[in-house]
Amino acid sequence: MGLLIKDRLGLREGAVVGLPRALLFYELYPFWRALLESLEFRLVVSGPTSREVIETGTREAADEACFPVKAFYGHVAALRGKVDAIFLPRLVSLKRGTYTCPKMLGLPDMVRHNLGRMPRVIVADFDETKRGRGLTETGLLVARRLGRSAAQARVAVGQALEALRAFRAGLWEGQPFEQAAGERGARAGGPAGSPSSGPGTGGRGRVRVGLVGHAYNLFDSGVNLDLVRKLAGLGCRLISSEQLSEVEVEAESSRLPKEIFWSAGRRILAAVTRFRREESVDGIIHLVSFGCGPDSIVGEIAERETRRTSSLPYLALTVDEHTAEAGLVTRLEAFVDMLERRQAAMGVRVASPRAMASEAAADRSAPLGGVAEGRA
Amino acid sequence: MKVTFPHMGNLWIVIKTILEDLGLEVIVPARPSRQSLDVGVRHSPEFACFPLKLNIGDLVGAIDRGADTVVMAGGIGPCRFGHYAQVEAQVLRDLGYDVDMVVLEPPQGHFSELLAKVRYLTGGQPLWRVWRALRFGFEKLQALDDLDRSLVRARPVEATPGAAAREHRRAVLAVERAGGIRDTRRAAGEGKEAVAAAAASQSVARPRGGVGPPAPPGRSLLRVGLVGEIFMIAEPFANQDMERHLGEMGVEVSRCLYLSDWVRAHLLPGFLAPSRRDRARQIRRAARPYLGHFVGGEGLDSVGEAILFDRQGYDGVVHVAPFTCMPEIVAASLLPEASRDLGLPVLSLFLDEHSGEAGLQTRLEAFVDLLARRRTVRVKDAW
Repeated sequence: MGLLIKDRLGLREGAVVGLPRALLFYELYPFWRALLESLEFRLVVSGPTSREVIETGTREAADEACFPVKAFYGHVAALRGKVDAIFLPRLVSLKRGTYTCPKMLGLPDMVRHNLGRMPRVIVADFDETKRGRGLTETGLLVARRLGRSAAQARVAVGQALEALRAFRAGLWEGQPFEQAAGERGARAGGPAGSPSSGPGTGGRGRVRVGLVGHAYNLFDSGVNLDLVRKLAGLGCRLISSEQLSEVEVEAESSRLPKEIFWSAGRRILAAVTRFRREESVDGIIHLVSFGCGPDSIVGEIAERETRRTSSLPYLALTVDEHTAEAGLVTRLEAFVDMLERRQAAMGVRVASPRAMASEAAADRSAPLGGVAEGRA
Repeated sequence: MKVTFPHMGNLWIVIKTILEDLGLEVIVPARPSRQSLDVGVRHSPEFACFPLKLNIGDLVGAIDRGADTVVMAGGIGPCRFGHYAQVEAQVLRDLGYDVDMVVLEPPQGHFSELLAKVRYLTGGQPLWRVWRALRFGFEKLQALDDLDRSLVRARPVEATPGAAAREHRRAVLAVERAGGIRDTRRAAGEGKEAVAAAAASQSVARPRGGVGPPAPPGRSLLRVGLVGEIFMIAEPFANQDMERHLGEMGVEVSRCLYLSDWVRAHLLPGFLAPSRRDRARQIRRAARPYLGHFVGGEGLDSVGEAILFDRQGYDGVVHVAPFTCMPEIVAASLLPEASRDLGLPVLSLFLDEHSGEAGLQTRLEAFVDLLARRRTVRVKDAW
């Protein structure tokens, strides 16, 4: 399709364009913001993920859809009636040789057909696997089709790319999402605007936890039930998969017998492999959405390799619209408790690697470990 | 080297033929069963899609019987199937099986990667030998697909229940035994005739299952198009023998895609299979109002083929996919819209190890009943 702009008349300068705060928003928001704002649109981002957003999304999306897709439906629904158009980029591929995921490829079509009372939509395909369809080229195309001059388009895309670069550098340094994205303080309002909503190199905790997962799960406190703050509260020092640079992800990937072809899965597996090899964490938490196809594969590979080659505790934590706060807290407490006890035990026997290994084995079979390693 | 591979419908006959023609010892897994599925479910990731669980069950059984090398297909995404081999290798390894996994897939780097794998498997036989084996295998694949096509035509109108399926089974075994291309063609030709002969002489459309009103003389059969994920369509164990159930209800079922079509579309260069390429364009065009981009697997095809079935006057479409299948979830989100716009009944079925055959049969019966009633109403309207 390339580009679809339904009824593009009326999208003049100053028109209000809505962007759903969900899914790949968390990977490219600064790019979209700079692009649309320098094209002189007024950008409105949907609010933080709330109970209501999730309920609407669950009602409107297909039963079989995964949790993040349902949340996305909810965010789009929340924008209806408030904007002149909704921007629904189709993110096919953000890097040559990789894809996002099948549902991302179908998402703009699913949303515009399944949700009623939709305003105009701007759908554009961003596909780095095809020549001339990448972020830059499609960005230029969008600007031109929306009636801007070639010069304006070039400036807008230039600024967007610069914003994206700065955002990624910020994440790499461990800044929380809002700070890296350059959000101005309380503008977004609520918990999403507060600095602790994204995993950064925060806290001087006792145990180091590697938190891996899709950006839209790690950064969205409404989806992950404020996991980051909860872990910090339990005394964890967090490092996340979002803190790996593109170069680091590629370096880890190239060591695999077969590289993962989902960009997020590539990053998750690279992070797990790196944390494990560098022994930079005491345990790993993989935050998974219920029904996530790619993570059912990537998570399995990561978990099995971790168990086979190390004694590093690995918790696969599944969240969905039914996940209860209390259950999650219990699981996290049990996991962190186990990490602390392991740390204490290892401190005593640091001289003998064999003792450490057997201690670790004993720990894994301990009741606490058993609970912690179950799925939420 | 004792080679095995997972099941997918009658494809085992084709793969066995190719590998044996190349002089390899082949261990064909037992046909998928409740037992092999239980083994697969126990050792597979909980949220993996259904075909992976069946694969694991097949492979474990075959390795227990002595196989030491697994041949798998791969892919380059975005459908999960492209990473099956990696997960399966890990699962088998953790189970303590020491097997070689040879993954045939589009190379990530250079074409020589694929060639090296073929050489490894064939012990360095010349490529023309490999080509000859593939050619022979493809002939069998076409023969098997032809037999399947004649079975779905004959079944709804067969004289004695199960007669067509019996002839079909006999013909499939004859194709399996065929030692060359000419033998294969003869077996297929004789088989098709035998299957067709099992049909009642007058093609009176009287649903055998007693579902729906008996059609008046001269009325044609209800026709249902089958779309969805290729493994689920091709593997009767996975789709709970859906074609048989529908056939026994007096419905003529057409698959949107046979494996030989898939091979023509994906493995042969475009100039060798121009008709398939046109077909792909047709499918894309038909789907476009609803889905404007490929989504991996057969997601786009499911939408496009359903619409093409409607244009050919089919009474309804059954859409079948493994539970949690990503491309087919996209299709299932859009098919209701197409169904509403076109007035085409569509039944989407997501199946996995928890799906019961009785439940499925009930749903199919209700669907066929609906199709039959729609015909009655339409006829009345016409009056």
